[in-house]
Amino acid sequence: MKEYTILAFGSAAVAVLFDYFLRTKLLVNKKFWIFWAVMFVLIFIVNGYLTWRPIVQYGEEYYLGIRLFTIPIEDFIYGFSLLTMNISLWEYFSRKFKNKFPS
Amino acid sequence: MQTEYFIVLAVCAAAPLVLSFSKKMDFYKYPSRLIYTILIPFVIFTVWDYFVTARGHWSFNPSYTVGFKILGLPIEEILFFIIIPFCGLFTWESVKYFTRGKDTE
Repeated sequence: MKEYTILAFGSAAVAVLFDYFLRTKLLVNKKFWIFWAVMFVLIFIVNGYLTWRPIVQYGEEYYLGIRLFTIPIEDFIYGFSLLTMNISLWEYFSRKFKNKFPS
Repeated sequence: MQTEYFIVLAVCAAAPLVLSFSKKMDFYKYPSRLIYTILIPFVIFTVWDYFVTARGHWSFNPSYTVGFKILGLPIEEILFFIIIPFCGLFTWESVKYFTRGKDTE
């Protein structure tokens, strides 16, 4: 079964829920998509290198087998999940701490 | 070279680490903000990684990792979940800095 594919999309859904429940409204924030345009290039270089060497190797039965350069497409969804959770939490805590310790 | 995964992480972290001390952003103003933000996804992704690495979703080339493992994961992979979020947060703050005063919608 394509478990990595399922988990990647599942975690992206969880990341979107973070954004929704923490009320960080990232998905409708233009700056968030500018950020992703920049990150896409950086991820392409770093993940490209990791998968090209390869430093990381993938179990053929667990992902779709579609690669962009040497990067499984699931990796982009995975990266989206990780960093969207990070930024949603960062914005949430920024708001929280700024209210608590205004300066 | 067994240090290669380490070097990749070091290259990623170098510029963000130095520039994050810039007075133009308040990156370290609330240390707990940085800790919580990195810690929560760190736990989720490390647990995920632990199970799927054991299952064979992916593996790490022993030629490019130093060989020190925690819970079956190379130390580099554990550090990945700290360093990459750090780089992402720095990039996010940079995007906000360079687009300051502009509309978000």
